[in-house]
Amino acid sequence: MMKNNIRVERAIKNITQAKLAEIIGVSRQTINAMELNKYVPSTVLALKIARTFEKRVDDIFFLDDDD
Amino acid sequence: MILFSNEFETPSLEMKVFPLIGDSASFLSENKSMEWSDNNITDELASILLIVGGLIVAFSKAKDEDEYISKIRTESLIWATYVNYGILILAVIFVYDMAFFNVMIYNMFTILFFFIIRFHYVLYITKKSLNYEE
Repeated sequence: MMKNNIRVERAIKNITQAKLAEIIGVSRQTINAMELNKYVPSTVLALKIARTFEKRVDDIFFLDDDD
Repeated sequence: MILFSNEFETPSLEMKVFPLIGDSASFLSENKSMEWSDNNITDELASILLIVGGLIVAFSKAKDEDEYISKIRTESLIWATYVNYGILILAVIFVYDMAFFNVMIYNMFTILFFFIIRFHYVLYITKKSLNYEE
């Protein structure tokens, strides 16, 4: 459905899921669900994540081939 | 129904009620339609309390409400509706007469009940999976 690089980006910036959740203002379950590809974030959330990692949205979230 | 299954003395609150839809079929019915008449409203009060209480428990905001929990809540509600109507279809096929009437009464409340169970189960699973990640 959709893949993302959130885990990699988190490792680059060296922050935990809890810290990232706190920065963005969502629960840790949301970050965890996104990393496990269980949840596709809303546009606002995706933009917030991209801004936190100082990258573009396209560099973090990838469409699957069947989309 | 639920009150009848108790062994205790159920409080009987007599009150004048105004049934919009009574037993209009029978001429000698106790509660005629569109006429003030007496009725023990304990069962009505119990139903209302159950429904309102169930709604409050089911739809109150979680501690940290965000979009993922909203999505889980929506999906749980749809799942509960499917399960409720699935069981209702089974009951329609396999249950008849007075027993079916009982089933219909329980069915009034089971959808909220299934939703509450499913919602908290999914929350529990996601919380548990958190412990396996960092």
